[in-house]
This record gives sequence, structure tokens and C-alpha cells, in this order.
Amino acid sequence: MTGLLLYARSRALPLTLLALAGTTAFAVWAAGSLDAYLDPYRRVPVVALAPLLAAAVIGTSLYSASDELDRTSVRPWWPRRLAQLGALTALAALVLPLAVLGHAETFGPPAVVRNTLGCTGVTAAAAVVLGARLSWLPAFGYVTAVYLASSGARGRAVTVWAWPMQPGAQPGAWAAALTAFVVGAALYAVRGARAEGPRG
Amino acid sequence: MSLVTDRRAPAARAPHPLRAEALRGFAPFAGAAVLLTLGVLLAGSAARWQGGWAETAAQTHITVLIAVPLAAASGCWQGGRERRRRTEELWGTLVRAPLARFLASALPVALWTAAGYLAAAGLAMLATWPYAQGDRPHPELLPGDTVAVAAAALLGHVVGRALPTRLAAPLLAIAGYVGLGVLSVSHSGSARHLDPAFPIMAPDAPVWWQPVSMAVWTAGLAFAAVLAYAARRRVTALLPLAAAVAAGAVLTQTGDGLWHEAPLARRQVCDTSTTPAVCVNARYAGMLPQVADALSGITGKLKGVRNLPVRWEERDHESHDAEAQLPSLTPLGWSVVRGRLTDPREFAWGATAALQRRPDCLHSTERMRRADDAVEAYLAPSPGQRTFDDIDARGDAAHRADLRKRLAARARLAGMGEEERRDWLSAYFATAGTCDVKGVPAL
Repeated sequence: MTGLLLYARSRALPLTLLALAGTTAFAVWAAGSLDAYLDPYRRVPVVALAPLLAAAVIGTSLYSASDELDRTSVRPWWPRRLAQLGALTALAALVLPLAVLGHAETFGPPAVVRNTLGCTGVTAAAAVVLGARLSWLPAFGYVTAVYLASSGARGRAVTVWAWPMQPGAQPGAWAAALTAFVVGAALYAVRGARAEGPRG
Repeated sequence: MSLVTDRRAPAARAPHPLRAEALRGFAPFAGAAVLLTLGVLLAGSAARWQGGWAETAAQTHITVLIAVPLAAASGCWQGGRERRRRTEELWGTLVRAPLARFLASALPVALWTAAGYLAAAGLAMLATWPYAQGDRPHPELLPGDTVAVAAAALLGHVVGRALPTRLAAPLLAIAGYVGLGVLSVSHSGSARHLDPAFPIMAPDAPVWWQPVSMAVWTAGLAFAAVLAYAARRRVTALLPLAAAVAAGAVLTQTGDGLWHEAPLARRQVCDTSTTPAVCVNARYAGMLPQVADALSGITGKLKGVRNLPVRWEERDHESHDAEAQLPSLTPLGWSVVRGRLTDPREFAWGATAALQRRPDCLHSTERMRRADDAVEAYLAPSPGQRTFDDIDARGDAAHRADLRKRLAARARLAGMGEEERRDWLSAYFATAGTCDVKGVPAL
């Protein structure tokens, strides 16, 4: 078995891919049952929550069962970490928009891609701070809280702090999500997920 | 001396396992996560509840929609702890019964998440206090909500023990959020009354036994699951299950009767020193001076004018002839934020339109439209009046001519003598609320 395949198996990547496929299938089903052709705003639950679920799946795949052993390696880890995070995020950003085709200006594929990037960034940063297996927690708390808080909120700042709930063409929301992704991915590539000892 | 010390040492009791579990590890972190998440939600929506006690209670209740899935996911995470640590077999060797072992690790998360919820609710009340304009705090829903959060943590713990997968906790969180969200937005079906996050309108209050029934319903389900999973005699799970089913049946059978409008919301407090008198809902009694002040420009100009409504009232129903509808202070976050009128000029303009009460007339004449515009401009001009005038000034010849006539009518009304204007306004307000084209006095 090549090193790459061993790496993929050690990070439970086959299971992760399966979970991402399941997330996409659920998103497609949910978007279909929301009758969104009547009103694109009905897609908001899918646009906000499907990327959150995908980010949770990606975040838990960043766990290494042998991080002490990993640290003894002579090769640098950051290219592998970055490739893993980047490839899984790209895959999620590619397949999740299939659930919400059309209405690109409001709640369509661009909004899903943006939310996937933002949620994955927050989750990757959380993996560095909290550990990979608990990395879903901050993104879940933030996205669900903003979901309820931002309805009816006014002002320019809302497009930034409520980025998961903004229409696809909102530059402030894109800036916030891209910043989250760049910071999260860089942190994870440099530091790796927090070592989870036997007390985890 | 050393003998005495040696004798006392064995007598010192070891700290209770619950204490160690509650003070260290994941439980306090779970409580902090609930507090922080609810803090983000409450801070982001502060303009919509801060300053109104009923709104604060309703918004705190809505946060259950997040607190319950988050507590369940936290419990689930804690439930998988022994598997992650690979200490399941070690725990199996303890002399304590499985139920005691289960509760020792499950109860701290339940208590901390419930404490996180209570702390968020307490902070929300503290944030409302300095801006409150009347009414009183409404903690009626807190007991039921707090028990629901703790029960969710216990249920999540059972799931965490039973499902050996890393994704169990995030899946449970998102499934719980989606499930409660779907129940919350459903407008029919008696099952929605079983939803601990059932959204309520701000002035509504529960009957006194609703929080008790909700607590029995959620705690009963949780204890049934715990006993079925960990008790030595699993049949004991039937007891809390029966209590939960009974409470659930009471909730679903009562349905909409669980909620009633708070008596205070039907009362008005009035400032009768002006004509028309100014009345606001008793829940915002403290706003009366501000509202009266915002309308003082209008009431000052209407002194001695006849045919006016007796009062402005803030009510949902259609106004009677003797009353004009005051621009609504609710929902908070629009015309009122933190106990202050956001735009007194716009509020006064809305109150003027309420005095005119001109319905959508099929055959409104130029005279009627010009009189309405002149009265509006005299009493409380619309904040957008200058903009509309500018647009007309840049428009075609017809628009410019219309603007000239409007400005002339405004100038004529403003230039009348006191007595003449009072008579003209009395004649004008005699036609308010009608499409009496001929009755509107000319300008």
C-alpha cells in the first residue's frame, strides 16, 4: 500500500467521503421538499445547515489516532494536512450546490460554496484549539445562533457577522467566510489538530 | 501528635465522584458553550427584545431551540468519553451499580448546560432591566425550559453510550435543531405543543401548569431512556415513561388553551392633557411621556380644532370613530429600540396619517389629495417629503405643475389666521375616514 493510501485510511477518509455523499443526498432531498421554486428564501435552512454538517464531517476526519507517532516523522506534515483539508472542502463545495441550483443572486450555489468555506474554516480552527473530534461545536453554536439572531437585524455590520445567512452576492459575507477559511486552513496546516491524549 | 494525625487521616472523606466530574473535564465547558452560544444569539437580536420584559421572556424561550440540541450533543459527547479513553472495561470493574456510574458522568453535563441556559436567561433579564418601560419580569417559562435542556443532555448521554461513532454528537445536534425547527414553524397539529421550543408571541403567557407539564414531559422521557439503558430493573423505566405520556397527553389535548394574552397587554395608559389624548399599551407605560412629546407638535397645532378623534390608541383592532390608531411601538426593534423612539418625526407623521384615516378612495379628487398633503405638511411632514418634492421638481411639466399647486396649498394653510385655520381644520377633520369628496374644504 502506498503512503498516500495509508494516510487516507488513517484519517478515515473513505468513511468521510461516504458521510459527505450522505450529506449531499440529504441536502438534495431537503431542498426538494421545501418547494423552493416558489421562493428562494425557503432554501435558507439547507443553505445554512448542509455546509455546517459537511464541515462537521470534514472536521472529525482531521483526527489522527497516532499523533505522537506522526510528530516523529521526518517529512513535513503541512502539505498533507493542507491537501486533505483543501480536497475535502473542494469536494463538498462542488457537490453541495447541486442541492440548490439556480437563484445565484440570493440563496443558490454561491451562498452554499461561501458557507462551506466559512464553516470548514471555523471547524479547522476549532480542531487546532479543541481537537478534531470536538471541532464541530463552535461552528454549530455560531451558525445556529446567527440563524435565529439575524432575522430582522439591520445595519451594515450584519452582512459580516451574519455571513451564513446572507444572499450569495453579499461581498461582506464573502470576505468574512474567506477570512475564516484562510485563517482556519493556515492554522490547521501549521499546527495540526490538537493532540488528544487519553483524557480526551 | 503524630498519632493523632494518623488517626484523623482515614476519617477524612474522599470527595464525592460527582464533585470531581462537575468541576473538571467537559461539563463546565459544555455549560460555557451553551452560555456563549445563547449569548451570540441574544446579543445579535438585542434590539428586538431589550427593554420589553415579555419580549425578553419570548426571546429567551426561543433560545431553547439551540440550547436543547447543544445540550443533547454535549451529553452525547460525554457519553462517548469512556469509549474514547478506552476505559469502558475499567468502569465495568467498579463496585457501583451501572445506574450510579451513568449518573456520575451524565448529571454534571445536564446540570452545567441547564446552568448555562439559566445564566443566559438571567443576563438577558439584567440587560432588559435598565431599559424596561413598564410590565414586570416574566420567568414563568424558565423552569420548563431549564428542565428540557437538562433532559436533552441526559438523552444525549444515552445516545452517546449507544452509538459508537465520532459523528454521533454533531449529527444529533443538527438533527435536533432541524427537528425542533420544523416543529416550531408548523402551524397545525397537536404535536407542536410537545415542542419545548414552541415559539410564543410576546404578550402571551402560559397557564401556570404548562411549565410543570413540559418539565414532566421532557424529564420523564429522559429518565425513561436512562433507566431503560442503565437500571438493573429496566421495567422501572415504565414509571417515568407513564408520567411523560400523561403530561404529553395533557399538553396536546389542551392545545392552544395553554397560552393566554397577559391581562396587562389589554390595558392602555393615557395622557389626557392634550386633544386628542395619547394612549399607549400599559406594557410600555414608561414610554408615554416620550410619545406625548413626539406628538406635542401636532397636539399644539390642533388646539381648539373640532371633529378630532378623542384619543390615539395603540391597539391591534380596527379603531372606532372616537379613536385613532397610534403607530405601533411593537414589534420592538423598529420604531422602538431599548426604550427609545428611533425616529420621533416619522412616528409623528404616522400619527397624523392615523388622524386623517383616509381610506383608499376610488374617486379621490385633486382637492382631497391636496388638502391631505397640506394638513400632513402642516402638522407633521413626512421624513420623505423633501425627497418626493425634489423628484417632482426634476420631473416633467405635469409633475412640476402638481408640485407648484401642492406648495401653494401648503402655503395657504400655513398662512391662514389662527381662527380661520381652526375652522378650516375642523371642517377638514369632519371628513376624516371617509371618501366624502365634496365635504373636503377647499384650499
